[in-house]
Amino acid sequence: MLNFIQVLFDAAALGSLYALVALAIGLVFGIMRLINFAQGDYLTIGAYALVVPTASVTPPLLFGALPWPLMVAGVLATCIIVALLTERIAFRPLRNANPATLLISSFAVSYFIQHALMLVHTGRPKSIAMGSSLAQAIDIFGVRIPGVQLVTMTVTVSLLIGFVILLKKTAIGIQMRAAAENFQMARLLGVRANKVIAFGFALSGFLAGIVSLLLVAQTGTLDIKMGIMPVIFAFFATVIGGMGSLAGAALGGFLVGVTSVLLQAYLPPDLRAFRDAGVFALVILVLLVRPKGLIPSSASRERV
Amino acid sequence: MVLRLLKQAWPVLGLLLPLAVIVLLADQFGSISVERSVTEALIKIVTVVGLYIFIGNSGVVSFGHVSFMAIAAYATAWQTCCSALKPITMSGLPDFLRSHTYPVLPAGISAAILASIAAFVFGLILMRLSGIAASISTLAALFILNVVYSNWDKVTMGTASIVGLPTYVTPWLAFAVAGLAMVIAYLFQISSWGLALRATREDEVAARASGISVYWMRLAAFTLSGLVMGMAGVLHAHFLGTISVDTFFLSLTFITLTMLVVGGMRSLSGAVLGVVVISFVTDILRRMESGVSVSGQEIAIPAGSQEVVLAVVMLLVLIFRRDGLTKGREFAWPFARRQSISETKHGDA
Amino acid sequence: MLAQDGGLHARDVHVAFGGLKALKGVDLKLRQGEVLGLIGPNGAGKTTMVNVLTGFQAATTGDVTLDGRSLKGLGPRNVARAGVARSFQAARLFRDLTVRQNLEVAAIGSGRKRKEARAKADALLDWIGCADKAAMLAGSLPYGDERRVGIARALALSPKFVLLDEPASGMNDQECDELMLLIAGIPDKFACGVLLIEHNMQVVMGACRRVHVLDNGKSLAEGTPAEMRANDEVRRAYLGSKNTGSQVI
Repeated sequence: MLNFIQVLFDAAALGSLYALVALAIGLVFGIMRLINFAQGDYLTIGAYALVVPTASVTPPLLFGALPWPLMVAGVLATCIIVALLTERIAFRPLRNANPATLLISSFAVSYFIQHALMLVHTGRPKSIAMGSSLAQAIDIFGVRIPGVQLVTMTVTVSLLIGFVILLKKTAIGIQMRAAAENFQMARLLGVRANKVIAFGFALSGFLAGIVSLLLVAQTGTLDIKMGIMPVIFAFFATVIGGMGSLAGAALGGFLVGVTSVLLQAYLPPDLRAFRDAGVFALVILVLLVRPKGLIPSSASRERV
Repeated sequence: MVLRLLKQAWPVLGLLLPLAVIVLLADQFGSISVERSVTEALIKIVTVVGLYIFIGNSGVVSFGHVSFMAIAAYATAWQTCCSALKPITMSGLPDFLRSHTYPVLPAGISAAILASIAAFVFGLILMRLSGIAASISTLAALFILNVVYSNWDKVTMGTASIVGLPTYVTPWLAFAVAGLAMVIAYLFQISSWGLALRATREDEVAARASGISVYWMRLAAFTLSGLVMGMAGVLHAHFLGTISVDTFFLSLTFITLTMLVVGGMRSLSGAVLGVVVISFVTDILRRMESGVSVSGQEIAIPAGSQEVVLAVVMLLVLIFRRDGLTKGREFAWPFARRQSISETKHGDA
Repeated sequence: MLAQDGGLHARDVHVAFGGLKALKGVDLKLRQGEVLGLIGPNGAGKTTMVNVLTGFQAATTGDVTLDGRSLKGLGPRNVARAGVARSFQAARLFRDLTVRQNLEVAAIGSGRKRKEARAKADALLDWIGCADKAAMLAGSLPYGDERRVGIARALALSPKFVLLDEPASGMNDQECDELMLLIAGIPDKFACGVLLIEHNMQVVMGACRRVHVLDNGKSLAEGTPAEMRANDEVRRAYLGSKNTGSQVI
């Protein structure tokens, strides 16, 4: 029983992390039909901003050396700036392209960032000592929960609440929702596309920053490809949840995380290695049964 | 009559002739490294033409195609490689593979056919989806295959490389297979099914209203492109003599898609031209990364520049010439009056 | 089946999108060899009706039969192959294919061999007067030609019935007149019934002997164009809508 509760916490923590990445992807998809593969690389850049670019495996700290509020601010700012830059340089000129072209372009941006980072930091994985206080487990009624997991869940829940308030109550949030529903109509009603889209990217950068901090605190390592798996899982989470639906994205992220932890815990040992294949097969399955995802957005189906 | 045939075959011949000249030059005068670069590019042509058969004609971007290369590469490896080590390193293979070695030709052909069967089976499910959902699912398929082959230790040796495949791929053999791939692609594209599939690419709704089955047309193209990807996988395996599962993953997917997009994904000429251009650029960059001497001084650009440049090229093409270098046209018959068709600009799909 | 069940017959068709009722009981019968006009104010449900008849939209209740055989559950593709073809309001040509290929695709879709398909395409191009544009890309056609190619593409399926969705919209007077003659000639030339959805009354009057009026998702009246013009209910339906009736009817 205790073991089961522990698994549940693992599942919730991983689910939260994926939910945050999926939320960012869903946000951008909603406003410009772009599935942003580069979301994972914003996260990677944020993590690498913690250290000084060297070839060393245990590099000296850059933002990581600052007191933690400044460090968090530094990482968030880095991610936001990178997200805005990619929007301005790569995605804005392609705004009217079809989703497939946009997807390919985000693939290219991702590839670019990864290898640009490699030029600066070399491709070797690095270790970074950070957040050791968070790594300590906290004992709650006999269940040992790593502090990082608690932080992850707390941060996710508060961010989700924050997002709901932002989207429902603030002017820019309402404009974003309008744009996600029907972009052309929103423009006619005076929503300024550039502003809303830039804001969406800034938010996605912000989320990437948060996730990168949480990830580094959990693993203590940096890797050029560290963004790929979270973004892939989140990517599929967005699809499962229903593209363009923010609630769906968060839900999908959560589901994917939970499924993967549960499979890891309860699959027979021989099959455990194939866990991810199971998760990906789930994606295809969901799409077959519900091509529009679990919570379809109101983006209208094609009119004849 | 001869002229008409020539004219009809021109989109393929017009591509093959210059390639033949390049191969001939490389074969006669090139260094071994040039010869290898040319062979590699020809194998890439097979790969990208395989991609093109599905993506170009259907308009559905697939991220999963290199999986079929992997399937064929492993299948041919199981049949041809390392008879002494096989029973130990790949003990999970069925007996007919574990304790026998087969000649390379039937091995290659059966491997490509296996890839095509795999494409058909995956396609049965994936082709039910359309648009972005289909693209995402092909990506999921890529990951599924990668996870399975990476962990199926007793059969694939996991993420380790299988070494010791016979290396029989010469520039001329690669050229011949590239030619075959192009002929297959071209015959499909001008066939009834190819035409119907192109119609679904232009307007799925109108195609259905015209009595076309979007599902079956896409499935047919997916299966055929799986076959050609399989051919590419076999060549790849027997060119390098070694395979590992991570070769057939995101990086190769990206590079081959770049080639297709840069050349122009709606035409066979685009697919081939894209490979030639990108191969040339990356080859030069690769040589610069490993260091060149400029007026006596050894200069090397840092590792990773190649990929950065590639990504930039891709983005520039997407932004400024979305239909690729060929704008989705085939090479026109050079001796005719210019017809209005090659002049006309079409809108964005 | 009984002889009277020949033709394309919709019985008491209802369509609801969520709570919104787009069609609330339409009875419509299209006979072989006639051109039937389907008119009605904007939002009356004309296009929805075409979608139901061609399998793009399932009826919530009610049924559509073709020569006595129910079309229920057949998707657009199978309805097209069964013999009910359509054109689209926005033409929806295959832009990056040539004009001839556009028609060939439909002929192939109806099960023809390639050679026959090409012959069919050429014959139809002759008929609409676009033979000289066969090798042009459809995306580069002028507007009027685009419309006519759309009609020809539907006919390339060799259908028993063809449904034309506002083929004249955006055409000038002269083009409208030509189109009217073309449409009026379809039944004899192709042994095919025509349902013509059109706003332009001049075209409807010229091409149809019978007109069916939809209003607010329901069949309102049917008769000759002249009768419809004199019908008070029909006049009211048009005047009550956003269209100024006098312009339309």
